[in-house]
Amino acid sequence: MAGLTGRIRRLGRIAEPAPPAPGPLQDASEVGRGSLQLRHVDAGSCNGCEVEISGCFSPVYDAERYGARLVASPRHADGVLVSGVVTRNMASALVDAVNAVPAPRVVIAVGDCACDGGVFSEAYGVVGPAGAVIGVDVAVPGCPPEPAQIIDALRKLTRR
Amino acid sequence: MTATVESTVSAPRRGTGRPAAGLAPALAGTVTVGLGGAAGLLGVLGISGHGGGVRLGWLLPLAGVDFAVSATAGLFMLLVGLVAVAAGVYSIGYFRTSGASTITLAVAPVFTAAMLGVLAAGSVVTLLVCWEMMALASLVGVLSDHHRPAALDAGRWYAGMTQLGFVAILVGLVVLSASGGSGDMVLLGRHAGRLTPTARNAVFALTALGFGSKAGLVPLHVWLPRAHPEAPGPVSALMSAAMVAVGIYGLVRVDVQILGPGPRWWAVAVLGFGALSAVYGVLQASVSTDLKRLLAYSTTENMGVVAVGVGAGMLLIDYHRPGAAAVAIAAALVHTVAHAVFKALLFLSAGAAVAATGIRDLDRLGGLAVRMPATTILFAVGALGASGLPLGAGFVSEWLLLQALIHTEPGSGTLLAVVMPVAVGVVALSTGLGVAAMVKAFGVGFLARPRSPEAAEAREASPSMVAGMSFAAAACGVAAVAPVVLSAALDKVLGETPGVGLSAAPSLGVVLRLPGLAGSVSPAVLAAAVVSVTLAVVVLAGRAGARRRPAAVTAPLWTCGAGPLSERMEYTATSFAQPLQQVFDVVLRPEVDVEVSHAGGSEYLVERVRFRSRVDDTVELRLYRPILAAVSRWAGWVRRAHPGSVHLYIGYGAIGVTVVLVVAR
Repeated sequence: MAGLTGRIRRLGRIAEPAPPAPGPLQDASEVGRGSLQLRHVDAGSCNGCEVEISGCFSPVYDAERYGARLVASPRHADGVLVSGVVTRNMASALVDAVNAVPAPRVVIAVGDCACDGGVFSEAYGVVGPAGAVIGVDVAVPGCPPEPAQIIDALRKLTRR
Repeated sequence: MTATVESTVSAPRRGTGRPAAGLAPALAGTVTVGLGGAAGLLGVLGISGHGGGVRLGWLLPLAGVDFAVSATAGLFMLLVGLVAVAAGVYSIGYFRTSGASTITLAVAPVFTAAMLGVLAAGSVVTLLVCWEMMALASLVGVLSDHHRPAALDAGRWYAGMTQLGFVAILVGLVVLSASGGSGDMVLLGRHAGRLTPTARNAVFALTALGFGSKAGLVPLHVWLPRAHPEAPGPVSALMSAAMVAVGIYGLVRVDVQILGPGPRWWAVAVLGFGALSAVYGVLQASVSTDLKRLLAYSTTENMGVVAVGVGAGMLLIDYHRPGAAAVAIAAALVHTVAHAVFKALLFLSAGAAVAATGIRDLDRLGGLAVRMPATTILFAVGALGASGLPLGAGFVSEWLLLQALIHTEPGSGTLLAVVMPVAVGVVALSTGLGVAAMVKAFGVGFLARPRSPEAAEAREASPSMVAGMSFAAAACGVAAVAPVVLSAALDKVLGETPGVGLSAAPSLGVVLRLPGLAGSVSPAVLAAAVVSVTLAVVVLAGRAGARRRPAAVTAPLWTCGAGPLSERMEYTATSFAQPLQQVFDVVLRPEVDVEVSHAGGSEYLVERVRFRSRVDDTVELRLYRPILAAVSRWAGWVRRAHPGSVHLYIGYGAIGVTVVLVVAR
């Protein structure tokens, strides 16, 4: 226990200093203001975006200090974080997951694939971008987007 | 109690003789209700001291029949009357829908009358005759569906055990009345002092064995989980609620009131076997998957708790603690009454569920709450009573018993200091596991989704069945919140018990007070508080929610993306009990068999997994099977002596006559 406490003290704070808060979105709803609980759905991603999303919630970027948090069930969530192009196998699962989130809810598309199909848009077995199956409220472009970009989008919702 | 093998009861029930039609069920039910009402009246007379004596000299040659209702008998008559009224009303609808032969219909009234005869008996002979009538009537009830091998098997076990018990009681009471110089129960109570210590000990051992086996105490319980489930609903209610109480009556009347106070080992024996029954019964109940078998094991548990109370009372009398002894015996009596009403309700509602579905296996029931709402609610009332929680019928007595057990002053003697804490642990353990067993019976059997087509198509019980169950539920409610109704009877019964401080009898008013012991509780106030707080929360939350609540949305069930939920995903009785089975596997010794068949010869590809789990009665396996095997070996030897040769038999005759002539020369 003492060793652990000592290690925590020696390591100190490794989170990057918080950049200034971005302004709210133009048509911002009140969803997620102050606290945003998100369920992440991988609709058919190459896992590049997943690496960046996990980076967002790592000690270095620490998105939780802005009020955003990943949860295990859509029933606990305010919104859905979608990554990857929507494949046929995942289309109905994505719709079910989004419908399982209590309204009012927010859908955030992370990465080019989720926004407009990206490099996989012409592939067989693909339905289309997330917008083709569910309404998307916030888009974070990039292949993959950097954690800072994702956190910027989340902070626009939490306004912190 | 096999998890995979189905225990289906064939419906309609095929009975002995021809099926009765039309008004016969109504007639039989009315007679039972009438007997129950008369029993209640006689019980009140007995309690108020007007139980008088009636002698019918012509009825039985040589001995005659004597009836005299003591206060103790009056309390038990009241109990049998309550159960008989509930079962009688219920039986009208039950037998009309499930069909029954005239003999089966006659069982309930004859059985009730025989039980009342045992209680009202004023002489030893009358008691024995009525006892045998009671045993035979209930045996016919057990065999009412004798086409099924399980029922036949149960009948054989029951016949064997009940007749052995009868022999023990017969010999014990004959020795008692011969040494006491009278067959009259009241006179015997005064003359019991004339017995030599050996005779007293022998009489105690024999009668305690006989009455204990009727009450279903371990290790004489083996007939109970077989016989009670096989009988039709109303008869199993009468057996499990009323007949076991008659066993307790025998124990209290003969061994505590007539013979007592006795040596210390009597009390320790009663308490020890009671504790064993309580723990063993509740363990078996908590892993049982057959609804009625579970209830039968719960009966063993509750009778064990009653025996703990009686034994503790006897021990406290021996240690000259009249106050605590009064509380312990009162707790035993109140628990007997409470058990009678909640177990009658449980067996009646379980009988309704079994009659509606034809299934006793909890793993294949479920979903009855939607199809049979009244039965479900009534079963819940009974299950609450069996759990020993506040608002339940069993709460007051368990509380009284714990009070009697924990208030042992330091320095009261080594035995008391060792036995009492162990007894507290036993009562606590059996109550805790009893809650688990009842949650399983109610949750798995009645809630969730139906696990079989039969359960999905169940129909609500008929009005008379619901009426019978509601009567029992009302009695449960009274026992839970107003035990004061038993107060007068308890005073009289304790007055009949030698060595008990009458002034220290617990008062069961709005607040339960125990003179001489520190401790009081008010079940009525507790109930009122729980109900009013619940109502207040519901009303306030409803009002607060109504202002802010958005319009309701119908959304699909979230199944983590696994597709629609099916009844195969529900908890079953087997899976619910699995942790308990794991913890207590030293005692229960479950037989678990997992069989994996592989596909295509690869050990990584599984084609099918078959799981079988079976919990047998350890006592039966370890104690009875060896005895039965020895008896049949011995019978095999005897059989060699009569091979069918007439010449040999004539030779036996000649040898016999020679022996007689030589001896009587």
